[in-house]
Amino acid sequence: MTTAEPSTPGTLVRSAGQLVISAYTAVSPYGVGRAAFDDGVRAGRPATGALGEAWLPGPYAVAGLIPGFTAAGALGNKGTRSMDRATAIAVTTVRELIIEAGAAVTGQPEQVGLVLGTGHGSVQSIMDFTRDSLTGEKPYHVDPAQFPNTVMNRAAGQSAIWHGIRGPNTTISGGWLTGLLALSYAARIYRAGRCARALCGSVEEYSRQRAWLEFHARGGVSGTGALGEGGAAVLLESARGATEAGRTPLAAVLAIRFGAFGAPADAGTALAGCVRGALASAGAAPESVRIVSGVDDGGEFGAVERAAVRDALGGDGARWVSCRRLIGDTSAAATSFQLATALAVAEPGDLALVTGVDPDGATVGCALLSVARS
Amino acid sequence: MTPPASDEDLEDTVNAVDEQHDVVITGLGVVTSIGIGVADFLAGLLTGRSGVKPITAFDVSGFAYANGCEVTDFDPAEWIERIDIAEVGRASQFSVAAARMAVADAGLASDELRGRRTLVSVGTTDGESHDLDTLTGHQLRHGPESLDTTMARRYPASRLATSVVRELGLTDVEAVTIPTACAAGNYAIGYGFDAIRGGDVDVALCGGADAVCRKTFTGFYRLGTIAPQVCQPFDRDRKGILTGEGAGILVMESLASARARGARIYARVLGYGLNCDAHHPVAPDQDSLARCMELAHRNAGIKPEEVDFISAHGTGTKANDTTEVGAIRQVFDAPPPTVSIKSMLGHSMGAASALASAACALALHESFIPPTVNHNETDPECALDCVPNQAREAELNVVQNNALAFAGNNAVLVLGRYRELV
Repeated sequence: MTTAEPSTPGTLVRSAGQLVISAYTAVSPYGVGRAAFDDGVRAGRPATGALGEAWLPGPYAVAGLIPGFTAAGALGNKGTRSMDRATAIAVTTVRELIIEAGAAVTGQPEQVGLVLGTGHGSVQSIMDFTRDSLTGEKPYHVDPAQFPNTVMNRAAGQSAIWHGIRGPNTTISGGWLTGLLALSYAARIYRAGRCARALCGSVEEYSRQRAWLEFHARGGVSGTGALGEGGAAVLLESARGATEAGRTPLAAVLAIRFGAFGAPADAGTALAGCVRGALASAGAAPESVRIVSGVDDGGEFGAVERAAVRDALGGDGARWVSCRRLIGDTSAAATSFQLATALAVAEPGDLALVTGVDPDGATVGCALLSVARS
Repeated sequence: MTPPASDEDLEDTVNAVDEQHDVVITGLGVVTSIGIGVADFLAGLLTGRSGVKPITAFDVSGFAYANGCEVTDFDPAEWIERIDIAEVGRASQFSVAAARMAVADAGLASDELRGRRTLVSVGTTDGESHDLDTLTGHQLRHGPESLDTTMARRYPASRLATSVVRELGLTDVEAVTIPTACAAGNYAIGYGFDAIRGGDVDVALCGGADAVCRKTFTGFYRLGTIAPQVCQPFDRDRKGILTGEGAGILVMESLASARARGARIYARVLGYGLNCDAHHPVAPDQDSLARCMELAHRNAGIKPEEVDFISAHGTGTKANDTTEVGAIRQVFDAPPPTVSIKSMLGHSMGAASALASAACALALHESFIPPTVNHNETDPECALDCVPNQAREAELNVVQNNALAFAGNNAVLVLGRYRELV
C-alpha cells in the first residue's frame, strides 16, 4: 500500500483525471430505462414472474423477462426483421444510455468506445442456425441474414452500426464477472488514449435454448433461482471530460480487481484478497464501505461471497443489496446489473463495492466506487 | 534505461528504449494446421506448407465441397497436465496447450509465473460452438431434456481464458475472453500491451483460439465465400476462405522484466489501433480500415514508410482482398510486401490474427517474410508484392498485422525488431 491518505468518500470525483461514471441505464425486467429500474430496485420489488405460452415448454416456469420486449417493439420495424433478442436488447440498452447521457455523447463518433459483455452471444440464434443446416433439404439451406447473429460480436457491432459509434468496439466474456471485466477493459483503453469516453455494459437474453443449457449446466436442478435477462450499461469518462460536456459525475471508479482460486475452498480467500487490494489501492478504509452489491447466487458461493466481503470490510457495517433476488440470474449481465443497482440505491458520498464469485471460471472480481456527494 | 546512442536515435521511436514501458514478446505457443509448437510452425512458414485437407470435424454430406484447415495431429494429453481434458472443449484445449507451450518457450517456471500479476486474454469467434453443434444434433434426436451436462457447462466463451488460468494455477490474474470474431486475436494482444504499459500487470498471456464447427462453415458456405479447393489471397482466381482452427498465445512482459530474467526476446510490441466501421454487418469499409492503420501507426510512433511488410487479413475473398489492398494503398504511397498466411493456415477465426502475430514475431526474429502460397497470378485489383509461394530473406525492423471482423471491427497491430543495445 502506498502512503496515500485515506480518502474521504466522494472527494476523488473532483480530480480531473479520475475515471467517473456519468450516466447509467438498464433494460431490465422492470422495463426499459433507468427510471423503471431505479424504482424497482429501490423498492426491492421482485420482477420475476410466470413465463407465457411463447416461452414454453421449457425447464422453468418462472423468469425475469423485460416486459413485452420485442426487437420491433423496442426499435421499430425498420432494420429489425433479422435482429435477434440479444442484439435488440443491446441496441436498446445503448440507446437508453445515450438518452441518459445526452445525444451529444456520440457527437464525435471516432472518440467513443463501445465495450459490451456477452455470455456466448445468442445460443438460440447459434443453435437454430445449426438446426436449419441439419434439417434442411440441403445443409446450406440456412438464412444468410441470420448468420451474423451467430457470431458473438453481433450485439456490440450492431449497436455501433445502429448508433453510429466508430471508436473501439469490443465484446467481452467472463461468466458472472463479465460486467466487471468490461468495465476494466473500458478503463484500460481509456487510459491508453484509445477513446475519449466509453459506453460499457453487458447484455443477456432469455431464450428457451439458454434455459435448457443453464438447466443442464446446473446439473438438472431447477431450484437455484429464476433466470433473468436484460442489459445494463454505464458511460465511463474522465471527471474533466464529463464536466466539460455538462454531464454530472455520478460516481468515481476507484479500483477494479480480479483474482482466481484453484480449489473451491479458496474462493473466499481470493475474493477477500481482491477486496483488500481494491481498498488499499484506493486508500480507502474498509469500514467506510456503505453498499455491497454482490452476485449473491443464493447458493454455496453466495454464502462464501458474503463471508469474504464481511471479512475484508471488518464487519457488517455495509448494506448488502442483491438485484439477482429481484430480477433473476442474468448470467453475463449480472455484474453490470449489480453496478447499476449500486448506483440506484447509494446515498451521496457512499463508497460502494460491486463483487462477484464465478464458480465456473473459478474467478473473483470487484469494483470500488465513490458515489458523488450530490 | 540505456541512453540513446545519438541525437538521431532520440527521434527514432523504433529504436528508442524505455525499459518499464516497452512491451516485448518472450514466448510463443502455437497450435496450427501446419505445425504444433514454434519450431514446426516456423518450418511451415519458411517452406510455405499448406494445412488444407478434407474437413472431418462434422458430417459434410450435402456440401458440394468441404476442404478446411484442421489440426489433425493434436493430442491434448501431451500438453494439459492439471485440468480434466473431458471438461474442456476443443477450442479451450487449443488455448490451454498454446498457453502451456508459450510459458515454457518463455522460460517461465510455473512458480515464477504464479508470483506475478498476470492478464490472460484470449480472443475467439466461436468459443466452443462446435459443442453447441453437437448439442443441437442431440436435441433434434432426443429433445432438450437430456442434453449432456459436461457439454452444457463447457461451451461458454469465457472458458477459453479461465481454462488457461486453471491449468497454470494462477491466482493473481485477470482472465478475460474477447469474442470480437475474426479480429479477436489482435484485440487480445493489444489488451495485454495496454495492461503491461499501464503497469497493471507484469505478464500477459494473450492470443486467440477457435475450433472448426459446422455452424460457421455453413454460414460462410451460404454466403458463397468458401473456396472449393485452396485459399488464394490476392490471386486473380481466388474463390474464398477455408475455415481453419488452432490457437496462438503470446507471452508478453515489459522489457525490464525480460532483461532482468535474461529472456529471449522475439520482438517488441510497438502499438496498435482499434476502430469500428459502424457501417455494414459483413462488408468491410475501406476508409475506416485505412483509418485504423493510421491509428496503429500513430500509437506505435512510426511512419508508413517504416513498415517492412504487412501481414494482411487476406482472407482470399473477392471483397476482403480488394478492400484491404485499397485501404493499404490509401495509407502507403509505396506499399511494402503484403502477405497472407491464411493461404497456408486457412482462416482460423479468432486465432487467426494471434497466429499471424506469432508469425510476424518469428519473421522479425529470424529475418524473413512468410509467403502467400497457392499464388498463380496477382489480381490487378490487388496489385502488390504478395511474396508469392516462397518465403523471402529480409532484414526487418517494423511489421504490421491487420485484422478485420464482422460488424466492421478492425484491429491493426505493429511489432518491431528488438535489438540488443550495447
